[in-house]
Amino acid sequence: MSSILGRVVATERRPNTPHEFHFWTALDSPVGIGTIVRVDGRDPVNGVLPQVYGVVTEGFSWTDLASPLHDVMGHDGSPDGESLQPTDRAEIRLYTAAVLRHVPEEPLQPVPMGTVFLADEADVAIALRMDGYLREGARTGIPIGVYRAGGTDAPIYLDADFLIGPEAAHLNISGVSGLATKTSAVEWLLQSIFTHFPAQKGSVAAVCFNVKGPDLCYLDQPGEIDAADRALYEKCGVPADPFASVQYYAPYKSDGVSLNTLRSNEALLDNVTPLTWGLREVLQYAEVLLNKDDVDAKADALIDFIKENVLDKKFSDPMLERVHSVTSFADLDVWFRDVLRGLEKKDDQSWRTHHVATIRKVRNRLSNISLRCKGLVADDGATSDLPFGNFDDRTVYVIDVAGLEEDAQDLIFARVVTKLREHLEKRDLGVQHVVVFVDELNKYAPGDGPETYVRKMLLDIAERGRYLGLVLFAAQQFRSQVHRRVVGNSGTALYGRMDGDELATPGYAVLSPAIKTKLATLEKGQLMVRHPHFTQPIFVRFPRPAVMRGRDGVSQYPSAASVPLETAVLRTLRTFDPTLTLGWLQDTVQLASDDEILRARNAVVRERPQDVRRAFASHFRAAVAPKTATRAAAPSPLPAAPSDDPYGF
Amino acid sequence: MNQMGSPALNVRAVQRQLATLLPEARPAATGESTLEIAGQGNDAPRLISATVLEGGPLRARRVFDPPTAGFRAFLDGTQRSELVSYLGGVPIILGRVAAVVRERRLRRMHTWHQALVETRLYCARQLVTPQAWEALSVTYGPLLVDITDDAADLASHPFALRDAAVHRVQGHREELEQRLAERWCNMEHDPLFIDGGISGSEKVAVSSCTVGVVKSHRTLYAEGEALGAVLSLGRYERSSVFRITSPRRTTVASWYLRLRDPRGHDPMWGLIRAEIACPQPQDMDRIGARADEVSRWILAETSPLALPDARWDKMVYGVRDCEEYLRAIN
Repeated sequence: MSSILGRVVATERRPNTPHEFHFWTALDSPVGIGTIVRVDGRDPVNGVLPQVYGVVTEGFSWTDLASPLHDVMGHDGSPDGESLQPTDRAEIRLYTAAVLRHVPEEPLQPVPMGTVFLADEADVAIALRMDGYLREGARTGIPIGVYRAGGTDAPIYLDADFLIGPEAAHLNISGVSGLATKTSAVEWLLQSIFTHFPAQKGSVAAVCFNVKGPDLCYLDQPGEIDAADRALYEKCGVPADPFASVQYYAPYKSDGVSLNTLRSNEALLDNVTPLTWGLREVLQYAEVLLNKDDVDAKADALIDFIKENVLDKKFSDPMLERVHSVTSFADLDVWFRDVLRGLEKKDDQSWRTHHVATIRKVRNRLSNISLRCKGLVADDGATSDLPFGNFDDRTVYVIDVAGLEEDAQDLIFARVVTKLREHLEKRDLGVQHVVVFVDELNKYAPGDGPETYVRKMLLDIAERGRYLGLVLFAAQQFRSQVHRRVVGNSGTALYGRMDGDELATPGYAVLSPAIKTKLATLEKGQLMVRHPHFTQPIFVRFPRPAVMRGRDGVSQYPSAASVPLETAVLRTLRTFDPTLTLGWLQDTVQLASDDEILRARNAVVRERPQDVRRAFASHFRAAVAPKTATRAAAPSPLPAAPSDDPYGF
Repeated sequence: MNQMGSPALNVRAVQRQLATLLPEARPAATGESTLEIAGQGNDAPRLISATVLEGGPLRARRVFDPPTAGFRAFLDGTQRSELVSYLGGVPIILGRVAAVVRERRLRRMHTWHQALVETRLYCARQLVTPQAWEALSVTYGPLLVDITDDAADLASHPFALRDAAVHRVQGHREELEQRLAERWCNMEHDPLFIDGGISGSEKVAVSSCTVGVVKSHRTLYAEGEALGAVLSLGRYERSSVFRITSPRRTTVASWYLRLRDPRGHDPMWGLIRAEIACPQPQDMDRIGARADEVSRWILAETSPLALPDARWDKMVYGVRDCEEYLRAIN
């Protein structure tokens, strides 16, 4: 049993309540803000000695001085005079603790007078009600980190039912850039989830949107961690390894040749898949890219008409010059030109109730999409997508949108999340639970500003996703600037190092000044955790993720330099067939245009054929008819000279 | 808690008991200040000449060497006298006394062994009915003290009775302090700072490890020019050592010492009187050096200040700590 740490005190001015109590300690006690303590009451209630668990939220210290001036006088105004004092003033350390749990729970009474002890590992489990979900046979604990105070190292577990669902779900993490280690925390937590997510609850995968830099580009590569981190891994029972299964997706750059990702080094391309969508995929999410100013009711009607009657169908009309089969942006543009030409010929202002101005406007906006999202949206209708329906358990799917325009990011985000939702509703995604990690939530779900499709979708996930197994892990610098319903629906909230201005906003009013001070000075690797089972925030340490950090990855695996089209295509094809050579490719495409080469590459990427060489070559016509070379017939031998030829030699 | 003594009695508890025991008793209003505060400062000021031990007339002497910490512990006591009830016009007074030695370890103060806390009930036996006294005796036993047992001519004026009770309480406090001081002398050899005189106990008064420091100067041991010398002492100056003798007390050596600069203050500002054991004749020539040494110890204790105590100019921090401790437990 640990030694007595302090004693509970209460005065008329500072009474104890059922939710808060005060205690004093020796000057050298290891108590600090965030320390969990246990109070052993002196007097039994209903025959049971009450125990109360609390977490320190505020600390006070004072001496017997009535005025600071007295100390100044005592030192004759000279601060360096202290050594002359043979005695240190009487001093007190008084702490305020917020109650975590009463045992027994009833009757709920003010915290009794009693002795205070540092909580050990078992106490921490009781205090945070973790004992309810760490029982053998019904264990749903997911380690989030280690609580550390006064020699106690206790793993802190989140309840999977309240992190992944269905009881509650979602996680929100806040903190200043660079110091709060938000991305690291999510990487670590995903590792922990993949290790500890209970088998009886099914499979789980993660979809991460890499929105900036190389943060998530090397999750499958080992990173450097020190002994302290290893100890934390060991304490939490999580292997200190990189993710075993990671798939990367990135659209092409605007040249359509090289991938728009920092993970473009040839050595890492084996699990990088291009992300390209055609007209069909984009038009379903037109409202993501077209704001309300662009698309009024009339334009909306025309877009619906195109989706219903034109897209992927044989479309004919007496006014049009020919039958159209629209499967790509290029086809759509041809269709628009035909319609507008027909209207000009007829000298008419409307076609099928659609005004010519509306037609021109919609054509302009839709055509613009392929330019604004060039690299993602393929003119030829080719699609290379996430493996919806074939998601693998414990796999991270990273979609690198860091290098894309905002519109393209929104489009990717909207479509991927919507597809995830659709498949989860139909229970055919391949896994039962998907964690979607979104950084910069300030941008995607701001508290103010116009209503956007992405924000509506995030609100929908936040409010209804837990029933489907669609879980949102979101990070942002300023929680106060995120839509209240998004953060409010997050069952679990993590806080890294916080900005002082942010802490001054009303959302943090429930925190004591000392907690705010601690939040403003948190070290890297420390988090404050709020979880439905924890009645008060708890501070934990977590290890550095055992994956390669972004900047290390960039230096160890530099991005591929811009290369000629043939080289870029060869790199892509060699991920399927390493025996291909540049000479072969150049021979194959020597008479093809760039578009034809890219279309052939996209087809191979999409179809992943067994015989890449043949599949790729089949897209190109031969330069000349094949002809077997034959040896020329030998010339007839010269006739021999007559033996009696007088001119012979 | 390091305390022992009489069972805790407080004014309300005694009033409740008396209401049953002696229904005719009229409870006094509670919440009034203690009798010590109400009656303080009533002693008549006196001047007494004393024999100087240091050679020549009493004069100011500079303490040249810097202050140095020499005390290991501090002893002080407190008393609290409260009016409980009246039996007719006779007051019944509750006196609570306590004493403690606070030991300095690594610059922090700790309680040495146990503090002493005792409570007694004071009443004038001759002025109450035998039945009332019997009832009080049965209930309070040895805690009941007759304030008339050695003062046959005690006036029956209630104020005079109150003053007599307070005097008894004071005596009880001094007894507790002496008990602790004697225990220190029996068990320890390091210097003990005692708040007040040491002459009340012979064992303490002759010990080489006790130093008494008197802050009140209702009695000044100087007359004429000697008095002028005492009152004009400057900071870090002491008077010549003199002998204090009393028929009922042990003779001690004493001197005045100015702890703080008196400029701008009254003549008693920062003035204390130190008492140590009177040296043997063979050691008399070293009494000056001993006074300097002890003076340096006392001067070292002037920091930290004993503020916010009103007597901070004369009080050392260790004594304030004793008082704070006793206030906390008493």
